Amino acid sequence: MRSIYLGFEGKIIKKGAEAELYLIDFLGIPAILKKRIPKPYRAKELDAHIRRMRTSHEVTMMFHARVCGVPVPAIYDVDPDEGVIIMEYIPGPTLKEMTLKDYEVSSIFKLVGFYVGKMHLNNIVHGDLTTANIIVPEPEKPFFVDFGLAERTGELEAIGTDVHLMLRALESTHYSKVKELFNAFLRGYREIMGGKVENVLKKVQEIRRRGRYVEERRAKIH
Amino acid sequence: MARRVVVLGIESTAHTFGCGIVDSSGNILANVNNTYIPAKGGIHPRESAQHHSDVAPRVIRTALSEAKLSMDQVDAIAVSLGPGLGPCLRVGATICRALAVAYDKPLIPVNHAVAHIEIAKLTTGFKDPLIVFVSGGNTIIAAYSDGRYRVFGETLDIALGNLLDAFAREAHLPHPGGPRVEELAKKGERLLKLPYIVKGQDVSYSGLLTAAVKLLSEGHRIEDLCYSLQEYAFSMLAEVAERALAYTEKKELVLTGGVAANSELQRKLMMVAEEHNAKFGVVPKALSGDNGAMIAWTGVLAYVHGVTINVEKSYVKPRWRLDEVDIPWI
Repeated sequence: MRSIYLGFEGKIIKKGAEAELYLIDFLGIPAILKKRIPKPYRAKELDAHIRRMRTSHEVTMMFHARVCGVPVPAIYDVDPDEGVIIMEYIPGPTLKEMTLKDYEVSSIFKLVGFYVGKMHLNNIVHGDLTTANIIVPEPEKPFFVDFGLAERTGELEAIGTDVHLMLRALESTHYSKVKELFNAFLRGYREIMGGKVENVLKKVQEIRRRGRYVEERRAKIH
Repeated sequence: MARRVVVLGIESTAHTFGCGIVDSSGNILANVNNTYIPAKGGIHPRESAQHHSDVAPRVIRTALSEAKLSMDQVDAIAVSLGPGLGPCLRVGATICRALAVAYDKPLIPVNHAVAHIEIAKLTTGFKDPLIVFVSGGNTIIAAYSDGRYRVFGETLDIALGNLLDAFAREAHLPHPGGPRVEELAKKGERLLKLPYIVKGQDVSYSGLLTAAVKLLSEGHRIEDLCYSLQEYAFSMLAEVAERALAYTEKKELVLTGGVAANSELQRKLMMVAEEHNAKFGVVPKALSGDNGAMIAWTGVLAYVHGVTINVEKSYVKPRWRLDEVDIPWI
């Protein structure tokens, strides 16, 4: 299916590692066009395969997340061969920006934990949970984006990796507030996951011990 | 100008016992290394430790004579306390403690991963790079921020060097495995399908190893297998490095560690750097693998910033993480 918007005109608003984001006009409303760019360092066939898979995968997973009540932008159109997705424009800062600017974000982190739990209960693993992939148009509604690495699975291993990624994002970028923010995340996460949280945390601990050099006494999750 | 300081550093975290002597201007006065090569299979920690204690006196003496220095002219002893294999670490630590006590020199604790980073910065002249550190035991993407090197990506299971070496062993390629895989990969023609596993800013290599070994047993051309294995493994690493580069907005990218000598990996990461207008640098081959000079140089940096450790407290730390080390010299 070729998108009618391939000859789009729009203004580039972000050049990420994987994709470029354009703000375009879609039938009279502002929309985001996300285009995955070819990577010269990958063999051509591998690169084409990865971009196609991630594009079609991303819309599928966003749709699943939206259906189960997690705030994600609505999908307007998709063209996997071109690596293009057109979706709802969500204006607002990222959670990364807000946290770095020292806004009071613990209640947002609690909500993030709640929605991540909602995804996990519905067999959706985001696969790239960082604060840069959460947009906050209003404090009561953090939007999740970048589902290109998401998986449809209920496996504890994948769920644990998801939580590990969130924790590591805190450690690398928001290192002075790791404990406070991760605890806030867990409060929301526990609210929906209930008793399953302990198993997930045990898994996270196991994952962090596996490939990494971890100080034994530190291996406990905050 | 501050007084010239000379530090003798000992490396013994895994298969290499090394002694380096470096001064405070960054001159490498000696770098003598002796690597244990197992007759078959991987490194056995105890056998490697035995090797280290056999070669240690000779390695240290050779380093001192290369540097044309006596122990009296050395200001301090730097020891690589971790991360690494316990028995191997203990050999280096025991020797360093003995030297420190016998010659009455301060002892400086050095983290092996920090040393790989600092030697790369010294040799490339980079000040604040995104670091890709790849070796037999490590696959780490890190950058400095607020007093420490922070980890932005890493392997979730086995290290890149381990992946290449383990595959080489399965394919009965002679030692050293990594360079053999690189040579054969140059003659690869067909890209075989393997799992490409990136999770956020992390990679996972264990599934890739299993799949490559399976294809091996199915009788595919070894050249195609080596090419495909490298293409997948390095592309995954390049992707997470690119993510970290975009995320941290660093303007330099440096490749260090034993696998840094691989030219295909260099080529891929150079393209990543170019795309983000970052400078690209690689640690010189002689200093890419484990070596004593990097411990000595990091020892210099630490020593002039007052970092020393009491002999009584100089325990080895097999699991000493990069992001636990305070970096007062930046």
